Order: sequence, then structure tokens, then C-alpha cells
Amino acid sequence: MSTPAPVDSRGAAPLVRMKGVSVVFGGTVRALDDVSLSMSQGEIVGLVGESGSGKTTLCRVLVGLTAATSGSVELDGRPLSDLLDKEPLAFRRRVQMLLQDAVASLSPRMTLGKTLREPIAIHGLPRQETTLRLQAILQRLGLPADVLAKFPHQISGGQARRAGVARALVMQPQIIIADEPTAGLDVSVQGELLNLLLDLQQEFNLTYLLVSHNLNVIRRVTGRTAVMYLGQIVEEAPTRELFGKPAHPYSAALLSTNPAIDPQHRSRRIVLKGEIPSVVNPPSGCRFHTRCPVAQPRCANDVPLWTDLSPGRRVRCHFPFSLDPQR
Amino acid sequence: MTAARSDAATPLVKIRNLKLEASTQRGTAHILRGIDLDIGRGRILGVVGESGSGKSSLASCLLRLLPGNITRLDGLIDFDGTNLLTLDAAAMAGWRGRRIAMIFQDPMTALNPLFTVATHLVDVLRRRHPGISKPDALTRARAAMDSVGIADAALRLKAYPHELSGGMRQRVMIAMALLVEPDLLLADEPTTALDATVEAQIVDLLEGLRRKFSGSIVFISHHLGLVAQLCDDLCVMYGGTVVETGPVDEVLANPLHPYTRALLACEIEAGDEGGRLVSIPGEVQDPVAPHVACVFAPRCAYAVEACRSTVPALREAGPAGGARRVACIRFEEIA
Repeated sequence: MSTPAPVDSRGAAPLVRMKGVSVVFGGTVRALDDVSLSMSQGEIVGLVGESGSGKTTLCRVLVGLTAATSGSVELDGRPLSDLLDKEPLAFRRRVQMLLQDAVASLSPRMTLGKTLREPIAIHGLPRQETTLRLQAILQRLGLPADVLAKFPHQISGGQARRAGVARALVMQPQIIIADEPTAGLDVSVQGELLNLLLDLQQEFNLTYLLVSHNLNVIRRVTGRTAVMYLGQIVEEAPTRELFGKPAHPYSAALLSTNPAIDPQHRSRRIVLKGEIPSVVNPPSGCRFHTRCPVAQPRCANDVPLWTDLSPGRRVRCHFPFSLDPQR
Repeated sequence: MTAARSDAATPLVKIRNLKLEASTQRGTAHILRGIDLDIGRGRILGVVGESGSGKSSLASCLLRLLPGNITRLDGLIDFDGTNLLTLDAAAMAGWRGRRIAMIFQDPMTALNPLFTVATHLVDVLRRRHPGISKPDALTRARAAMDSVGIADAALRLKAYPHELSGGMRQRVMIAMALLVEPDLLLADEPTTALDATVEAQIVDLLEGLRRKFSGSIVFISHHLGLVAQLCDDLCVMYGGTVVETGPVDEVLANPLHPYTRALLACEIEAGDEGGRLVSIPGEVQDPVAPHVACVFAPRCAYAVEACRSTVPALREAGPAGGARRVACIRFEEIA
């Protein structure tokens, strides 16, 4: 790597750096197309987009389950492929996942104790020390010690979610990829889980990538958000700026679909025509031009570049800010 | 069609003390614990509540499509003068697809994969208008496809459900429900399975259709923002009971029941920043538990001893003669 690593606003080199990453399945399906995203230690980054936008593929690349067809992925300045090759277990400890369906992610045939101790054995960690750490984590998460003797069907949904968090934490990760952690949760318990995740982030200086359909959660919890459409990140911005004034017309439309309860906060709903095209045969030029309410002739031909707008803010659009939801 | 006979001020459906119980391995589950609810003529009633609150079971009772382990279904469902609970199975079957129609959450499983869209729509029309000719039915089916925003209606009529996208399938479901011209349309989370921008299209469609549709709609959802935008009235359910009802704007602007207040506090709105997120401590009451107290009392910040020993009645609240009802013995005190 001859180019110096980019430096974030706080002056630190990013912990994770994806640059120009594409993932092509079967030679034709471009699940990710020229995606760049960096995350600094201790940051909470949100990832939003509809089904088929590539959120899951991006997560799989970051945890090392899907290899990038082109582009580079680095962790602390070292290529991911190198880490996976030379020290796969150490890498997997550093990047952990929180899965969407907490109950389904626990084996029904194993007690929680067995499930939670299994990674300790696989990674060959010092047993006594790790067991003590596991106990401390359970206590921290408010799980009773006897939970280890129970099977998943014997515990509540809330306990299952906390067990999933415990499983991720026992490996002392640096990065947690949380894929829809609040999906299917009632709002009355969603706050409890998010508070826990925020507290842990502070305590352990964790870095989160939070994938969610719930725009309210993204707005409340993340510092920076990337918006995906059809395999590309179309906008990346500090969360507050994004929700305040989206630059990409797709971001504007997506954010406008989130109806507020308070009539004072309600803005005009931008209803897009048609549906998300297929990644097998994406539209020419800007991938969004077929549904964009403010598309111009140029959008059908020229591919918009990933362009800096302001510090920490990038967009892939020829005419940013042209779709104003307030109007 | 029956509106002429009845006064617009009388509700289309009056539900009184509706109780639904089922036998489970752990004992009798109280799914609905005595529901009182009115569905106004030509109005959209939003029913909100968390998982297990009984909102979908309420829709099942209105259709009388219930699983086999039901041990008790009693009370009153007065539908324009007829108590649906006293109808025999054949008579009840005659109501479904004629006076009551339903839009389900998952349009893939609700459409028959072996039949074309045209077959679905024509079948609905033949049921509603026995003796309608096939060309007439097809003409009306095409018109219905147009009205729900499906382009190339003639082509899409020949398609099978798997050839359509999720949003398109839900449009077909809505077209079927509209062809029924029901007095009551039940919509159970009709946009939940859809992506955000497609959901926006369907919400837009529903908003447009409410001007053309003269019947009443029960819109079941866990999404309060959506209900606030789309509905006239609101019914908040918790643990198989109705805790609060009234015009949607009034309830949301001035919630009276502690559960409604807590639920609204949990919702994240624009402008909320920093600090702790709000949640409701504790867990939903076990449906097997007997109904001897306020179902929300174990999680309620305002509960007193009386809340744990008496079942609160759904009482009139707000201006006399108004539509607001609250099931809390303390709502005046804590306001």
C-alpha cells in the first residue's frame, strides 16, 4: 500500500477501511459495486437500505465470510485476506456478529453454558480466565448464573437476546456487526436492548456497524450513516446531517417514508415509482435514475462518482440536494 | 349498501364483552379478556398493540376464522343488527367475501400459487355477484387492477403470483378486497412485509382509496406513525384488553392510559437526542394468568393496590358523549 491511509476527523487512522469493494456472484450478479466505507475505533455507523441493496453482503465481507472480488478491505491497516490467511481465529475474535433472531441463533440442543463456552474451546483461550470473564459478562448483562444450565426454550426472549450479546462479548471483540438487532422487537423492549448496546460500546470502546430498517433507531443511535441502493453506497453522512438534509434523492425518499407520530414532525411523503430493479441487470448511468423524481437526461448515461460534499459527507449523485422533502 | 337503512351515527360494528379462550398445554389462555369496541361507519380504525396483545385475534373473531383449540368465544359482535356469534357456520361463511373482506400481512401465502391473478379476481366477483358473465367479470377485474395502480393490467391478469413482486402481490390483494365492496375491510399489517419505498406506495394507495371506498376499515399495525397518518380512530390493546380508544389525533396528543403514555414514550421521534432510551420494564402478562386485575398493573408506574385487585372498566373519558374510552381506574388522578 503506497497511498497513506485516510485520516478521519479525529485524526486517527480508521480501524476498518473498505475501498472500492465489489462482490460479483457467478460473474453477473454485482451484489456490491465499488463500495467504500471506513469506521474508526469507538464509532457507531448505521447502514440502511432496502432488500437487495447489499447490506448483508457488506456485512459478510467485513466478517470474512464473503471475499471481495475486487477492491481492498483493511483492518488496522492490514489486508483482511492476509489476516484470514495467517491468523483466522484472532481475526474472528476481533469481529463478532449479533444476529437478528436471538432465539433461533442459539442451538436448541445445547445449554446456554455449552453454547457460550464452545468458542472458548475453539479459540483455545485460557479456560479459567475466560470462564471468569464469562461470569462477569453474565452479571453485567443481568443474566442469572443458573441461565448456563438452561436450554434456549427455557429462557425468555429478552434473556436470549442478552445471551447473544454475551456470546459476542466473551471474545473481547473490537468490532460488532449488528444485523437488525431490534427487528421483531416490540418498541416497549427495544429501548432496553439499545441502551445495553450503547453502554457496552462505551465500556469496551467497541465499534458498531448497525444494520437496520428502523430509521428511528438509526437516527437515535448512530453517529454516521451509509445509505445503500442496488449494491452501492449512494450517500454517507453524519447521521444528524443526513436526517436534517439528505443529499441523495434516494435518501430523501427513503427517509420520507418514515411517518412521524407528531403531526408537527410530519413531512411530505415522497413516493417513488416502480420497484427496486434487479442487480443482475442494473440500470445504466446512475442506478437510481429509473425511479428518481428529479432525474435529468445525463443521469441515464453518466455513472455518478463517489464525491466529497463536505467533511465526512459523500454522495453518488450528479445533482445532490435537488429533491427537497420540505418542499 | 346498508348505510341508508342505518343512522350514520350508530357504529357499523358493536363489540361487547368479547371473550376468547383457548386450551393450551399450560392451561386456559385468555386471548381476549372482554373487548368493548365500536367500529364507526366509513371510518378507519387503527388497532395497535404489541405482540400478544390480541389485535390479530380480534380480526379472526370478526371473521370467525379461529383455530381448533378455542374453548370459549362469547360476548356480542353486533354487525349492523346481526350478532355474528350466533350465526351458524354456513350463514357465517356467507358473510366472508361478501360483507367482510380481509387483506393479509403476507401476500405470497394469501394468494394461491396455482391460479392466475385473473382467476383470483374473477372468483371474488362470482362470489359477490353470482351469475356475472365472464367477460363482465374480466372487465371489472381489469378496472380494479387499474385502480390499485397496476400498469399493463391485461398482461398482469395472466400472471401467476410468483411472477409478481411483493408490492404487486399486495396490490392484487387490495384489488380483490375492493371487488368485494365489503362493509368491513380488515387489514392485518398489510405493509409490514414490504420494503420501505414500496410500503410508501401502498400507504399512498390506501389513502387514495379511502375516498372511493364507502365501508369501514380496521387497520391492524404495530406502527404508530403509520396509524397516526392513515386512521380516524385508534384502539390501543394490551394483554387481550382494550386499554384506550378514541379519535386518533386526540389519543396521540393526549394519551390517558398509562400504557398508551408509556408506549408513546418508547417511540423514537425526530428531535429525540442523547440520554437513555425509554422502555417499559417487565414483561407482558402470561395469557394463562386469570383476569382479576388490570393487565398492565405489573408494569405500570402508577399502579396502586386497587389496580391489582379489580379489573378496570372501559370508561368514558373526555367531553360527555365523546368517543374516548379509557380502562384505568386512576386516569383522572394521573392526568
